[in-house]
Amino acid sequence: MRAQEQFDTFARKYPHPHQPFYSRPHITRRRWFQIFGAGVGVSCLAGPARAGVVIKSNSVQTQNTARNVIFLFMTGAPSHTDTFDLKVVDGTTPSNFSPAQIGSVLWPSGLLPNLAAHLPDMAIIRSMRAWAAAHQLGQHWVQIGRNPAAALGDIAPNIGSIVAVEKESERQQGQVLPTFLALNAFDAIGSGYLSAAYDPMRIAPAATGIPNTTNIDGQSRMNSRWSLLHTLDDKLRVDSPLGQTAADYADFTTSAQNLMYNPDVQTAFNYTADDSTRYGNTSFGNACLLAQKIVAANLGTRFVQVELGGWDMHQNIYGQAGKGGLYTLGKTFDVGVSAMLDDLKKSGQLNQTLVVMMGEFGRTVGKLTGQAGRDHLLQQFVAFAGAGVKGGRAIGSTDATGASTDDPGWSRNRDVKPEDIEATIYSAMGINWTSVRYDDPFGRGFEYVPFSNSQDLYGPVNELWQSS
Amino acid sequence: MGSTVHMRRCSLVIIAAGLVVVAGTAIAEDAPYLVNHSECTYFGAKHKEFVNTGLMRDVLKRRSGNVESFAGATTRAVTSRLVPAVDSSSISQSSAPVNTIDKYVFPALTVAGVAPAAPTTDYEFVRRIYLDLTGRVPTVDQLQQFIGSTDPAKRAKLIDSLIGSHSWIDKWTMYYGDLLKNNSNQTSVRRFPEGRDAFYHWIYSSLTENKPYDQMARELISAQGENTFQQGELNWLIGARVTGGPIQDIWDQMASNTAETFLGLANLNCLECHNGRGHLDTINLWGSQTTRQQAWQMSAFFSKAVQQYTADPNVKNYGYWGIVSSKSYPGTYALNTTTGNRPARQPIGSTRSVTPVYLFNGDAPAQGDNYQAALAKEVTSDFQFARASVNYIWKEFFGLGIVEPTNQFDPARLDPNNPPPSPWTLQPTNPALLDAMAKDFVASGFDIQALMREITNSQAYQLSSRYDPAAWNPQWETLFARHLVRRLWAEEIHDAIVQTSNVVPQYNIPDYGVTSWAMAFPETLNMPGSGSGVSLFLNSFLRGDRDTAVRSDQLSIPQALNIMNDPVVMTRVRASGTAAKPSLLLQNINKAPDQLVTNLFLTVLSRNPTPDELQQGINSLQSGTRTQTSEDLLWSLYNKVDFLFNY
Repeated sequence: MRAQEQFDTFARKYPHPHQPFYSRPHITRRRWFQIFGAGVGVSCLAGPARAGVVIKSNSVQTQNTARNVIFLFMTGAPSHTDTFDLKVVDGTTPSNFSPAQIGSVLWPSGLLPNLAAHLPDMAIIRSMRAWAAAHQLGQHWVQIGRNPAAALGDIAPNIGSIVAVEKESERQQGQVLPTFLALNAFDAIGSGYLSAAYDPMRIAPAATGIPNTTNIDGQSRMNSRWSLLHTLDDKLRVDSPLGQTAADYADFTTSAQNLMYNPDVQTAFNYTADDSTRYGNTSFGNACLLAQKIVAANLGTRFVQVELGGWDMHQNIYGQAGKGGLYTLGKTFDVGVSAMLDDLKKSGQLNQTLVVMMGEFGRTVGKLTGQAGRDHLLQQFVAFAGAGVKGGRAIGSTDATGASTDDPGWSRNRDVKPEDIEATIYSAMGINWTSVRYDDPFGRGFEYVPFSNSQDLYGPVNELWQSS
Repeated sequence: MGSTVHMRRCSLVIIAAGLVVVAGTAIAEDAPYLVNHSECTYFGAKHKEFVNTGLMRDVLKRRSGNVESFAGATTRAVTSRLVPAVDSSSISQSSAPVNTIDKYVFPALTVAGVAPAAPTTDYEFVRRIYLDLTGRVPTVDQLQQFIGSTDPAKRAKLIDSLIGSHSWIDKWTMYYGDLLKNNSNQTSVRRFPEGRDAFYHWIYSSLTENKPYDQMARELISAQGENTFQQGELNWLIGARVTGGPIQDIWDQMASNTAETFLGLANLNCLECHNGRGHLDTINLWGSQTTRQQAWQMSAFFSKAVQQYTADPNVKNYGYWGIVSSKSYPGTYALNTTTGNRPARQPIGSTRSVTPVYLFNGDAPAQGDNYQAALAKEVTSDFQFARASVNYIWKEFFGLGIVEPTNQFDPARLDPNNPPPSPWTLQPTNPALLDAMAKDFVASGFDIQALMREITNSQAYQLSSRYDPAAWNPQWETLFARHLVRRLWAEEIHDAIVQTSNVVPQYNIPDYGVTSWAMAFPETLNMPGSGSGVSLFLNSFLRGDRDTAVRSDQLSIPQALNIMNDPVVMTRVRASGTAAKPSLLLQNINKAPDQLVTNLFLTVLSRNPTPDELQQGINSLQSGTRTQTSEDLLWSLYNKVDFLFNY
């Protein structure tokens, strides 16, 4: 595994962006300045912030098959060997998981029956390995596609916020929804150093839509009120030469106004009891329902992050007496995602919507622990559907137990990392993942994907789009 | 707990924070280090704060010159939307330094060649001081009484009357509830409403009697007793509960919480997992030179303490907690753990257990001593306690701590007579100021009210937030050259709308009582009731949960939607109520237009309308029925920037 060794060597040589703080070697002052002292010479890019953003990138070929992304974040870290990388363990795997060989994929068709029918839509990467088996660290890492403890980690925007800033120029009149939406994901990482305009709008699904988008006194009264507010305020408004800041409350007011009494917004966000039932009558199901409606509504949202937590099953992962554990959460996931894929197909959106399903790492393999659960493990899966992804197969494979990668299954011939998933999402959206933007507060340049501009260290898993 | 994984060629296995990070391809068989529950809080909600003060960030910031804080950006955005300040006072504000604070702030400005902002006008001052001290806006009577007074000492007297008042107690009970993280239900433990209420009442009565802060800290650190429902102060150490590991994990968390809350040293939490060297080298100079063993010696002060749960015999999954001693834990912090939430604790040479040693002076209690009481005495006698406590409160009034983040002190970088080696710099933006204030705090007997009096009476605090936009440089924020603007707390917004509209609710909070004021709620979660519209309104303004979500004054679209449309607002823009209890609009709806407009401005915004605003307001009343146009006017005042922010 020469490529894996080369990668590991590189990661050890440049430890800071690659290792969490507790893994980094002791650093001398000289070494510190080697790392941080160099490369601040961006004098060739004078005054980037005011002149408009300077973006440097290499010439690459993006997939450019996706208009939208629906990112289903399975927080808590789902057990990969019980789901998308099923390993049947004698005396452990419940018989009602009903392992079935569906094409080339072994699938727990008893646990996840509806998704079994959707296997032809899904490509499952099994050779992914997280950097650290810690929840908050891992969740942050996945969402920003880099080490949160590295140089710009604490100001790094969510992948969705980068998508939002990249697609800003494609927004049209009448598109009133923010580009980035977070459903049931109130703790989603935000826009980092980018303007709060690229923060996700965070809401919980409700049958009656976004809360407080109508006023008890009706639309015409609201028009009078806004008019009066402008009359009182407009003289005070001075266009700031420094541009809009996150504290520009007026912009939130204007955005909020545009969501009100908007029949398109209401149609996109309201749903019936029947709809909800089809999606399993769960809050996650409702979020999946909304996600596909909203991308179809073409109101400006291009990246939807949905969170389904509860996968951290250190105890009773197979439930008790057949209830709870993976059975409950698995059903929620299975019904909601399947209905969403069905509806995306029906509306013609699946071809241009990249659906990503992953957690922050995986879980221990083989027999269960003393608490009838599984603990943390770096090896994990990530599944893709839509946007031209060729489904019905796995990319890469793990050893017999599922603990580590056997065959990486892709051109870089090593474990897939969160940085590669980030690059994959950007490529799918037609965004050059090697871009470096020079509007960060330190003037060092912010790389969309670390080391991809200078070293081509990470990149998209193009195999997702190639017939195997 | 074991897991059957195959052992293969293992390259570099690093075990830390109770988890496994493998820069290789294999994991050891029966790896005992895989985490069960909570993990390094470095990467939790607090992560942002940890890295913010790191060396690399400081150096990079200084190099790029781009140092504007969120508070600074808010200040510029809001002040550009304010009407010009009106100076009503015949009393000229003195420019001579008034107290300790001024003796350090103004010379620093002079040395830097920076002109301070103008002093606040009386209108700017009165609204600000009411909000900052009591969480309320002034009533029109209170406003006009202050504005009209010609007493040269009126500001100091107003401050005196506000500190210690009923609403002051409410606000600072909420503040200390945040700092001490009082809630009925959090990830690691349930206090239940009874425990929460006991803790709430302990904080409330401590502030009511102006209990010295060091005494409050000692009561919390040394708390022992059987029943959290009856003994409020027990509830603080209960918050350090950690499950899925040995008792040393709990003692480590108690020590970490003590260090963060009372010494501003959140990095002790990192050191409970590993030595500072190799981990904190670019983050905290003191931390990088401190060992895990030293952190254990702090934890050992809790090694006689057991968190004991007494289940209710009649009600399932319900009971109270206590902090008690047990024969099983006679005060030995043993180095004999291999599982749980932190990396293995194993003997160091012949040292098989650790005894308490206070990290900063080497003091050690005798074996028979009350260890918790010993730690309480050490912490509260430590000058760092005064620094940290002063800095936490300073931030509430000035928008930025003298040390930022306020829980990230670096003890190796505080003494101006002993500066750290390059490239490190002194951490406080004005080290002499911080130390002087800390000394004053000690000399006052750790008197919180005296501290707030000192802060609010200073010239520095009373500077305006307005500043010529063309001249302003964000680098001057840390010199306190201008006052920084903040968004009102969720509770302040609710209470201001309630008070000014005079449409006063009655919230019946289970196990607590009835109140009309959000600032009087005993915690921030599910108040006044789970899922209630008012609770959702308050949540949208990010009051936090005192567990993983910290209070924040970030802005959002849902907030804007709420201020425009939520029933909390809409029920209060009506001419409603009775003759005995008229709403604001009912009181004014039949007045002459200029009076109506003026009264609404004075009540809601604590100022007169400008001539332009007055004319526009009068015009607007002509454009429809009196009911509708006046409602619309009141609605727009609640939606103005100068309502939602404290400038």
